[in-house]
Amino acid sequence: MGFYKFLLSRVLSFVLVVFIGITTVFFVPRFMPSDPVEAMIGKMTANQAFMEPEAIVTLRETLNESFGLEGSMWDQYWGFVKRVIITQDFGPSLASYPNPVNELIVKALPWTMGLLLISTIIAWLIGNVVGLLAGFLKDKSYSKAMEAISIMIYPIPYYILALILIMLLTYIYPIFPLSATFQGEGFSWEHIKSIVYNSILPALSMILVGTGWWVISMKTLSSGIAEEDYVHFARLKGLSERKIMTKYVLPNAALPQVTMLALQIGTIFNGALITEILFGYPGIGTLIYTGILQADYNLIMGTITLSIIAVAAATFIVDFLYPFIDPRVRYK
Amino acid sequence: MRIMKRLTVLFVMMALIITACSNDNNKSNSTSDAGKNNAAAETDGNKDTGDSKSSGKMTDVGTPRSETLIVDILGGRSPDPDRYNPYVPGAVAMDAGVHQLMFSNLWEIDTQKGTQIPDLAATFPEPLDGTNTKFKFKIQEGLSWSDGQPFTAHDVEFTAKMIADTKELGYNGYFTNLVKSMKATDDYTIEVETVNPETRLAQKLGVVIWGNTFRVMPKHIWEKEDPATFKFSNPIGVGPYKLKDRDPQGNWFLWEKREDWQKSDIGKLVGEPGPKYILFKFFGPEEKRIIAMIQHDMDILQDITPESWDVLRQKNEYAKAWYNDFPYATMDDPCERGMSFNTAKEPYNNPDVRWALALMTDIKNVSMATFGGMLRVSPIQLPPIKVLQDNYHKPMLGWLKDFALEDGYKPFDDSYAAGIVDMLKQQGVEGLPTDQSAISDTFGVGWWKFDPAEAAKLLEKNGFKKDGDKWLLPNGKPWTMTINAPANFEVQSMRLAFAVADSWRKQGIEVNVQQMEGASFWDSESTGAFEIGSYWPACGLLPDTTANMTGWHKQYIVPIGEQAPGNRNRWANDRVSTLLDELDGLPSDDPKVIQNITEINKEFVKGMPFIPMFGTSKFVPVDTYYWDGFQTSENAFEGPWWWWSQFKFYTPHLKPTGR
Repeated sequence: MGFYKFLLSRVLSFVLVVFIGITTVFFVPRFMPSDPVEAMIGKMTANQAFMEPEAIVTLRETLNESFGLEGSMWDQYWGFVKRVIITQDFGPSLASYPNPVNELIVKALPWTMGLLLISTIIAWLIGNVVGLLAGFLKDKSYSKAMEAISIMIYPIPYYILALILIMLLTYIYPIFPLSATFQGEGFSWEHIKSIVYNSILPALSMILVGTGWWVISMKTLSSGIAEEDYVHFARLKGLSERKIMTKYVLPNAALPQVTMLALQIGTIFNGALITEILFGYPGIGTLIYTGILQADYNLIMGTITLSIIAVAAATFIVDFLYPFIDPRVRYK
Repeated sequence: MRIMKRLTVLFVMMALIITACSNDNNKSNSTSDAGKNNAAAETDGNKDTGDSKSSGKMTDVGTPRSETLIVDILGGRSPDPDRYNPYVPGAVAMDAGVHQLMFSNLWEIDTQKGTQIPDLAATFPEPLDGTNTKFKFKIQEGLSWSDGQPFTAHDVEFTAKMIADTKELGYNGYFTNLVKSMKATDDYTIEVETVNPETRLAQKLGVVIWGNTFRVMPKHIWEKEDPATFKFSNPIGVGPYKLKDRDPQGNWFLWEKREDWQKSDIGKLVGEPGPKYILFKFFGPEEKRIIAMIQHDMDILQDITPESWDVLRQKNEYAKAWYNDFPYATMDDPCERGMSFNTAKEPYNNPDVRWALALMTDIKNVSMATFGGMLRVSPIQLPPIKVLQDNYHKPMLGWLKDFALEDGYKPFDDSYAAGIVDMLKQQGVEGLPTDQSAISDTFGVGWWKFDPAEAAKLLEKNGFKKDGDKWLLPNGKPWTMTINAPANFEVQSMRLAFAVADSWRKQGIEVNVQQMEGASFWDSESTGAFEIGSYWPACGLLPDTTANMTGWHKQYIVPIGEQAPGNRNRWANDRVSTLLDELDGLPSDDPKVIQNITEINKEFVKGMPFIPMFGTSKFVPVDTYYWDGFQTSENAFEGPWWWWSQFKFYTPHLKPTGR
């Protein structure tokens, strides 16, 4: 009974979070001091392609009609809710009209997932290993060195770090390409090789930044746990330090790290905005950036809704699975 | 640990599979209408296998570097690289090579002479009667589309009818307000009937600045399609290049010279284009674009900052800007920058206040702070480019010197150019012009005096007061203002806003600069949600700038909050409106046109709804390592307008260096 009650409460909370999220995501762009139609007209007239004022009025009417921006905000909202819930359709992208937003997301998502999933997991693995060593074997010189390096890199603003990597590895030592050019197509070796080659630099930048945080948090957790009574007891029992670290400290320190990893994987759907723009990577971050720059309501709504659902789902799954990971937790 | 290892490998594999499959999907989606026409574009990714491949450096898209010109894409990445229908909003950006190399216009522009020239059209519209509503013009003979089909007047007629019949196209409204009908009377003759009497049909259907929306489409392909949804994935044009390959992510577009280039517009009008391939590529942020040119991986750069140019010329001895020496940048861009007032808002509805702000502007320091002094001033409502300086700025000098405010004060200062040269010399800048007329041509005919005392007189006359260092409004409250500025685009206008704010702040006004992204920036101007903006409502290239000034007619003023079709400064001037009405009925080459526009400029000086400050200085350098023959101040067959449709006219001048 406790399990079903728990499940129901979590499902309700999931639905509520998603509903509030998509409602917010509908209204916020409309309160921005910008308008996709004006953005488009502004861009056209900024180029000074000749356009008479009367023509601008007509163009504005045509674009409003094409983009589905006619009617009151309330009408547009209900149309949006119905479309999203019934057909999961976010309508056409206004910046890339008439391409459907869904199609743009489907194209961009695998790129973001490919880059962020790998770099998040690698950063998590390296960060936790280094953090564990730094926390448990804090007197060892290699632990101190690894911790020091991680802590040094962590506070560097991401943009600067990425530019340093670009300068270092594309200009001074031109090992990697300055801009991504993907060779071949489909599931061919040439294409995969090209993706890996072009993704190493952006992935490296994300791993370097991501690792620092995991090191710091894991070190704090593991050094605290290393002082617990049961760890002292294990040592008195004569267990090896390695066994104590892997069987006593790691499982306990890893629990909150697993939760954080799950939540971070949920946020992958936001894309890595700065990374994607700096490295010319065609993912969700680039889409969000385009959406904001061009006031593309539908694109903003589509990408952010996806992110809301992903984070809410990740939270839901973590809540649901936690009792399996930690036997001290029960469904209540 | 073994499990961890396996998990890691599994994740890596999964991610690769997801990414690779996605690309496969892209390809299959993108070519959905590929089979529908026999376009010449070969997008199969086949790479050149010429002899040079084995001996020389290759580009990352597989073409010999020595045969490939690489050009920066000004507008960045195109989200849908398979949509080339220019009449729907989501098409590949025109400046990705689309309108520079493939599509052509009826009439192009010669920016050095300030005249339109024939392109697809062989002649200019010739009135058929005295009503100015019926015209005839000829189409070039002997041209063909890049798929080999002949280009004729029937393509022009078809395009006109298609636009008029398809309400979903954004251009439909404009076009149907202008053109009643367009008919091919034979293969090479078009007759046009306009809705209203027209005196500038070639300007409206041809290029005046950048490009024109009326782009002729091939009848034999488009007649089978729905123009509102057709992607035109394998596009063709009458231009000298055809699309060979494209990046599924929209970061690059590879163009190849047509084998039958003689049958392209450029082949007939100019000659054989130099480069076999032209790669338009987006490298990302400015830092990366500069590195690309330092490494000779980019031949033409679009719009960089003076600081980047400084780095580039030190690191790449082959990099060239428009001028060999200071000011390096070209100053002939057809728009000028300055401070634009919303004259529907107090206190900016008062011309004395606007004039006071002009006189509070320390223009030399503003120039130094904006672009290190590499700017040409303009005191009138027209950009200070050579053609317009010769027609307006210089002829108006006498009037500008004599012009006096109501109290008799003469604000014009013709010593600006000499002053800025002295200032630059003191800073150790070398290579400055020495001849008096060259100094004036480079830095401008003059500007308004920096005279805070006269500004104070104007303000005090209108009830403003000074409280210590600070100015108070007539109602006793501190004078605060916000200047709207572009955020990280249009760098010159962005920097200008900060420099002007600093100048006015020093005079006792609390000035904030509000940086805005594109959509918000334009929306604020259109709806009047601004006090002062770093906008650029003053453009022109031909001596007849009527087209660029029409929007200032008082009939386009709307209340704040409503989208303005024109006159976004909401400045009503009866005389300007009357002069514009007169201009509308005059043919472009009527001598009265320049007279009227001169009179309009006088009204702008008196009313100052926009404080014109500087022409636009463009740093658009080239790398002469692989290619030469680019236009420069010493080889000025055209301006360096790499993002304009006239790019195709430059290609015959470009020659490989043999490296």
